[in-house]
Formats: sequence, C-alpha cells, structure tokens
Amino acid sequence: MKDSLEMEQPILTDQPLSWWKKSLNIRTACLYLLPSFFLFAVFLFYPMAKTVYLSFFLTDQQGIANVFVGLENYQYLLQSESFRKSIKATILFVLYTVPTGVMIALALALLTNEKVKGIGIFRTMYASTMGVSVAASSVVWLFLFHPSIGFFNKIITAIGGESVSWLLDPSWALVSISVTTIWMNIGFSFLILLGGLQNIDEQLYESAKIDGASYLYKLRRITIPMLSPTLFFVLTVSLINAFQTFGQVDILTQGGPSESTNVIVYSIYREAFVNYQFGTASAQSVFLFLCILIVTIMQFKFGEKKVHYQ
Amino acid sequence: MRKSIMFVTMLVLLLVVAACSDDANSENAEAKQNNSSGGATEGQQESTEEDAGPVEATFWHAMSGAGQESLEAIVDNFNDSQDDYTIVPEFQGSYEEALTKFRTVAGTNDAPAIIQTFEVGTKYMIDSGAIEPVQTFIDEEGYDTSILEENILNYYTVDDQLYSMPFNSSTPVMLYNKDAFEEVGLDPDNPPQTFAEIKDAAEQLTIEGERYGFSILNYGWFFEELVATQGGLYVNNDNGRSADATEATFHGKEGLRIFEWIDDMNQAGTYGNFGSNWDDIRAAFQSEQTAMYLDSSAGVANTIETAPFDVGVAFIPHAEEAERHGVIIGGASLWMAKGINEDKQQAAWEFMKFLQTPESQAKWHVDTGYFAINPAAYKEEIVKQRWEQYPQLSVTVDQLQATKPSAATQGALISVFPESRQQVVTSLENLLQGTDPQEALDRAAKETNRVIEQQARANQ
Repeated sequence: MKDSLEMEQPILTDQPLSWWKKSLNIRTACLYLLPSFFLFAVFLFYPMAKTVYLSFFLTDQQGIANVFVGLENYQYLLQSESFRKSIKATILFVLYTVPTGVMIALALALLTNEKVKGIGIFRTMYASTMGVSVAASSVVWLFLFHPSIGFFNKIITAIGGESVSWLLDPSWALVSISVTTIWMNIGFSFLILLGGLQNIDEQLYESAKIDGASYLYKLRRITIPMLSPTLFFVLTVSLINAFQTFGQVDILTQGGPSESTNVIVYSIYREAFVNYQFGTASAQSVFLFLCILIVTIMQFKFGEKKVHYQ
Repeated sequence: MRKSIMFVTMLVLLLVVAACSDDANSENAEAKQNNSSGGATEGQQESTEEDAGPVEATFWHAMSGAGQESLEAIVDNFNDSQDDYTIVPEFQGSYEEALTKFRTVAGTNDAPAIIQTFEVGTKYMIDSGAIEPVQTFIDEEGYDTSILEENILNYYTVDDQLYSMPFNSSTPVMLYNKDAFEEVGLDPDNPPQTFAEIKDAAEQLTIEGERYGFSILNYGWFFEELVATQGGLYVNNDNGRSADATEATFHGKEGLRIFEWIDDMNQAGTYGNFGSNWDDIRAAFQSEQTAMYLDSSAGVANTIETAPFDVGVAFIPHAEEAERHGVIIGGASLWMAKGINEDKQQAAWEFMKFLQTPESQAKWHVDTGYFAINPAAYKEEIVKQRWEQYPQLSVTVDQLQATKPSAATQGALISVFPESRQQVVTSLENLLQGTDPQEALDRAAKETNRVIEQQARANQ
C-alpha cells in the first residue's frame, strides 16, 4: 500500500495524469454498477425507451407501430376531455388517500408504540391489511358497497337514512375507492412508521421526562423530528403508489360512472389492452412518468428540508 | 489494497462475462434441445397417429361457472365418442383476456386450434389474418349449414363466408316481476311492449324509495340491441357489412329515441340505475328494487329459478314510431387458427361439427340458457322437459326466430367495437347525471368516429 502510494506521488507532481489513470475511479465505479445497470436496462430503461417510441406512433391491430404521427397523440391528450377527467380524478384520489392514510397509520403506530401487555396482538391486527391482496380486499369491499344488499346501505337504512349509491354516483365513487385504498395501505404505512418509532432513542424521552415535558410536547419536539426520515419515506412511497393505483379501480368501478374514477393508470390499461391503442396509451404513460418525476423532485426539494437526519 | 480491488473487480467481470456467455450457450443448447425434443414429440405424434393414437388440439375458451362445467362435459363426450382426436379445453379468463393472449401467439405453431371469441371481436379476428375461415372446411366436405339457426349464422357470415362456427349465442329479453304487476293492477300476461307503454307501466310500478319501475344495465350491448330492433344502424355502410364502416350512425333518430326515453324515466324517478355489473342489476331485481329490466337470455333460467316471485319474460321494447325488427345475436363463436398443424385443424373441425349435433346443443341449452345453434335440439327430450318446467324460456327462442334478417339485425362489424361500447356507456352514465340526450349521444359518436378513423389510418 505504502509502496504504491510513494510510487505514484512523483508522477502526480511531475506530469499530468494520463486519461487512463485519471478515470480509474470512474471505471471501478462503473464495474460495480454494471450488474444493477444491466438489470435496470433490461427491465426499466428498455421498456421506458420503447414507451416513448410508441407514443409517437399509431399502432395497428397487432400492436405494431406503423404510422409515425409525431406529437399527435400528445396533442390529442391535451385536448381530450376524458383525459382531463383522468387527471382530475388522479389528483383528487392522491389528495384523498395520501394524507389521510399516513395520518391514520401514524396515529395507530403511536398508539401501539406504548409498552402494554398484549400490544403484539394489536400490532399484528393493524398491520394485517398488508397481507390481503388488492383483488381479495376489493371484492370484499365490493360486497360492502353493493347497492341493494350491501352492508353499508343496510346499516344506513336501518337507522332511518337514505341509501347511498356508493359506486354508482359519480360524486361518491371516488370517495368509496379512496376509503378502500386507505384501508388497504394502512398496514404498510403502519408497519414502517412503527419501525421508525422503535428506532428512536429511549434516552431522549427520558431526558424530556426529567425536564417535565408533556406528551404533546414530546410528540412535537422529539417524536415527529426523529421520525421525519421514515415519514418522508412513507409519504413518497404512498404518493407514488396512489398515482399508480389500478386493482381496486378495475374491480370496483372499471373507471365509471361517467369516468369519475378513471385514474390515469386505469385509463392507460384500457387504451392499451382493451382498445389496442398503444400509441395514446404510451403517451399517457409518459405523461404520468413526468408527473411523478416532478412531484417526487419537488418533494425532495421542499419536503426534505424538514427532514431531520441523525 | 488497490491491487486487490482490481483483482476482485476483474474476477467479478470475468464471472459476469462467463455467466453471460454461459447463459447464451445454455440458451442455445436449450433451444436446440427444445427443437430436437419438439421435433421428436412431433415425430412421435406423427408416428403414433399412424398407430391410431389421437391428435391433441387445444381449445381456449372463456366460459366459467356453469358454462365451463357443461363445456367440459361436452368435450369429454367428444373425446370418448371417437379415438382419432383429443380436444383439450383451457380456460383463459374473460373474452377480452383470452383475445389478448391469442394476439401474442396468433399465426404461430403455439396458437390453440380453437379459440372462443366474443361477437364484437369478429371483425378483428377476420382482419388479423391468423385464422382459417371454417367455410374452407364446409366447402371441402359439403357440410350442410342449413341445419343451423339462420339468424345466428347471419351474424358470423361476412362476404358470404362463414368465418367462425357459432357456439354460445344469446339475445336480450325483458324480465319483469309478475307479482308486482298484479299488485299495481297491470296484466301480468300482457307485458308492455313499446317505449311509451314501458314508461307508463314504470310509473305505476314505482314506489318511491323502495322500488323502481324499469332498469337497464349500463352496458353498450343493450343500446345496440334497442337501436337494431327499431331497424337503426350502428355504423354506416350497412353496419360495416357492405364496406368498412367509416362513421357512427347510432346517434340518429333511433338512438336519440332511446336516450330520450331513458332520460324521461330517469327525470321522473322511475328508472333505477344499478351500474354496469350484471350481478348487481340481477340482485336488484331479485330483491324487488326494480320491477322490470333487460337481461341476457343466458341469464333467464337462473333468474327464474332463484327469484322469490313469479318472473315473466318478454321481447325487448321498441319505439312506437318504428316497427319491431328483432334482435342481434350476442355471445361468442369458435375460430380456427391458421398456421398450425393440419391434423389439429381437422381435429378442431371435427369437434365443431360434434358441437352442432342436437344432443350437444340440447345439453348446452339446458345447462346454460344459451341458444341451441341447431334448432333440432329444441325437439330433444331434455329441452322439452326444461321448457315445461319454465315455459318462459321459449320466449327467448321465439324472439330470435321472429327476427327479420336485415343489416340492422345482422349487427355492426367494426374492429374498434370494444372502445365504442365504452363510449356509449360513458354517455349513458352522463345522461343519467343529467346531460342532454343529444349532447351525450353526439359525444359517444364523435369519439367512435375518432377511433374508427385512427384505426383506418393505422391499418392502411
């Protein structure tokens, strides 16, 4: 080690490094990156490039791109009323599900972070929605929302209210799907947040206790700041998940009624695999990608400032 | 230290390269093996054929539940009835899913010998070039298609060629609650037949907050049928049958009458909206939340069996201004793949013929409620018994046989049908939310025209 250093020192001072020598670090780094780069290329970069490529074409019935139309697919999207509805539905869906879901998960995690006998049972219960597949839970909710024999309507009519068309009324459908989604996602957010809470150093609380801090003060000054990296992670992941929601929409409403739940991913699926219009579907995918990219960048830019890393 | 890093990286690189080339090698080897083993099994098949072993042909279908059970029983009957061919039925999900899967293997040796495709996929299948018209075999053998139901053949006959073998066919009918009819003083044996009569009856049958008078599933098929029964066309060029359709025509006076009719009832609070899920609207009828609704003939038997009240079956309604033209065939047909082994095609053809025998059709009709493609099946004993038990079932057959053959009742032929259906459904949903009927219809027509035009450009 020492030898080699001494050997290189004089070269450094005497003459400029050759390109080959200078790039040694980069080359080593590339070697390390090679395996993951290879995997990304096959499963991410190639499909992405292909999507962008397809978005400039019309496809025939075999799904082969054969008419180059330039930006026409994008132009159509921007003018299309149903795409505007898709965007609106997606944004509303994200606003309905992400803050509520994370808030509920945080409340549950705080509750179960207490050291009480038998707390394990509750922790398991709250995390259990993670183990239920989207399809299975959607079918259960489908029965709960059923217009004539559903559980919710039975209860509402039993106490004298008027039954609600949960999935058939455009103003209720998205709310119904959001409720389902929040329920499904709580398990995951809860588990991650609970893990974050458990990682917070006990000593901080002990010192606060000695200082006589109240529960809310501790929550505001210790728990939330110390939990912020986890919270940030959960927020980012939930946000991306919400943008990409598909299963529950497909099973509960198929994008209806009046396209009120036709979120972008569902609209992409329908364009591509029901209507075989891979061009417009790809254009929508590119649009969605850009949206998620921008939101994530913004999150890192503005959200991360509030994150406290130890 | 640096040397050791270099060494390790070199080692990794070496491994990666080796692994890659290894992969390639083994892939090649595998491919070779596959080829040779494929060749071997094919060879074996050929040789066993000579030894009178059966030819295996795959049959992709989209029937679940009772349909799947019945279908598999019929396939077993076929396999047992002779020794030359074995049909292997494989469930591939819904019609849409089965078609999507077929697209990936179409025209290759991996394609199934037979695939079941829904009626609106007809145009797509013809244009795909991956199928062998069954007319080829009919001509070769002089098979007599006149034994089959004319109105069903009509749908699948394009340019005088029968492209696919009709299999499960259904039409819409109106179901109504006879007990409710009596309760409000309507004649249960004389159901309303025109739009205006339905509107009146719906008003009488409606009990606010409890029961609606009339409902239609939010599904494009019913709209198509209601247009056709007035003699209206869905698209131009004789419903796309004399030449490729270039424009939607369903927003003309026939379509508008339907939308206005629904709008009137919806405004009056006599029209129940139960969404686009078949089970939901059936449940609504069973739980007496709607007194009349349109359903597929394939669902009639089950509804009659499970309803806690007396169920009546009637022809679908038509507008006063237009005479009744009848119904379009819905359901699916069986397509034969091209580019597969000739023996397999022969197996598929033999199976298709077996399916059309009165015995198979009688079993199919009784088990599922789909029509018998071969009307001789209606004379079979099991069908007679069934009809005696549920006399309403024969209404569905009467309606089909009373249909006047024309471009309208032949049904539209467009390859973008699935998308057009979605547009109609969205318009229907908008209508129920209070959009003006003409405006709602025009929107669907505009969107349909756009995709027809785009499709034409892409397939030049």
